[in-house]
Amino acid sequence: MSWKAACPTGDVKQDKIKECTIDGVEIILVNVGDGFRAYPPVCPHMEQYLEGSGICANNVMTCDRHLWQWDMKTGEPLGPAEKPLLIYDTKEEDGQVMVFIDEELEYDFDDDDDD
Amino acid sequence: MLIEIEKKSKTYRFEANAGEKILHAGLRAGVPLPFECATGTCGSCKARVNQGDIDEGWPEAPGKENFKAAKREMLMCQCVAQTDCNLTVPSKIKAFREDDINPDHHQGKITDYEMLTSDVLRFEVKVPIEGTFHAGQFFVLQAPELEGYRAYSMVNYSQSTDTLEFIIKKFPGGELSNWAFESNRLNETLDVFGPLGRATFHPDEGHDLFMIAGGSGVAGLMSILEHANQVNYFQDHKVELYFGVRTPNDLFFAERFRAIKTQHPDNVSINIVFSNEPPTSEQLSGNDGLNYLTGFVHERALPAVLEGGGNTMHYLAGPAPMVDALIRPLILDSKIPADRIRYDKFN
Repeated sequence: MSWKAACPTGDVKQDKIKECTIDGVEIILVNVGDGFRAYPPVCPHMEQYLEGSGICANNVMTCDRHLWQWDMKTGEPLGPAEKPLLIYDTKEEDGQVMVFIDEELEYDFDDDDDD
Repeated sequence: MLIEIEKKSKTYRFEANAGEKILHAGLRAGVPLPFECATGTCGSCKARVNQGDIDEGWPEAPGKENFKAAKREMLMCQCVAQTDCNLTVPSKIKAFREDDINPDHHQGKITDYEMLTSDVLRFEVKVPIEGTFHAGQFFVLQAPELEGYRAYSMVNYSQSTDTLEFIIKKFPGGELSNWAFESNRLNETLDVFGPLGRATFHPDEGHDLFMIAGGSGVAGLMSILEHANQVNYFQDHKVELYFGVRTPNDLFFAERFRAIKTQHPDNVSINIVFSNEPPTSEQLSGNDGLNYLTGFVHERALPAVLEGGGNTMHYLAGPAPMVDALIRPLILDSKIPADRIRYDKFN
């Protein structure tokens, strides 16, 4: 339960998705221009690994599987997406992206709050 | 067999017949289960088995990538219930449109069968009842002695019809394709289930249309063009189609395109893109109203996409690699909103 160094800040390029494993917890990191965001590695729709399926542009991420989209800064769903991205707290320290991992964030794929 | 799917808001219950895919049973009963390809490749119809026995049908289905055996995750489009079952479906269960048509099983008979090119054939399947489908939808077809359904989009459109028109490409290793090409299949019967699919056209949406098709993927787009033309849609909406085939000898439907183009020359733009050979001199003369280009269809089509998309709905239809190669630049470079892109990916 603490801040952990994920990788050097220069490794997380804008419009790219960087995958990291910290103490056995897989995360993905993105650069949103004025900071970084860390999410669980999979799409909240069907568990597709976003490192491969995610397209980032203008701080919007799109999973190319079924075109779910999110505001990368807030994780909020856009367009056809039905669930937000979960976000770990991040900060920069000594040229490193630090991620606060209290416990592994996981999507509830049985969360079935229908219309 | 009774299938139960528990959601927080309600429990869905429907009957599945012996040997019937769970997805088919649910859709037939009007439960809008999640699915996309309906043929085992996409993984969209994932469910977990809480109670009951199922036959997985196709355990190695590509759509099961990332599925967890320990949680008894399976594809509803492939599996058959052997006892009453209780399932969890993680995706939302929600209807798409109020006017969606419940799909059903039919015994279809092939009533027309002709070669369009050396490796594309066209056939019509007559089903016992008149019905309709949305332009752009597909049926899954199963030949009598073959295991497993394959998806084919209808080419035709009518408000009420008992005839489904399909095209099929010769595809080495494709069982239904081999069956269809092996000999003249006129008067033979097929199991069909449908209509299915959401890459559809609805005149009330009022969009201009931008379409990119590779090879036999043009089927569903032809249906959309026919529906639109029947309601005089191109009087005040535009359509731009890019249709890729290899050579002039591989081109089909030129007459059908021309018929639509002739009626609304200003609003209909049909672009035929040959990847392996240049157009013939007759085609280049420009007398038939169609534009003929050389190159890969996606390379020719993408520069014509309006940035941001405006009022346009984009339809993509063709081999999965072509569709995948289009989605990324449409979203990244052309900044098309995700809900303005409709596609089918049949592998």
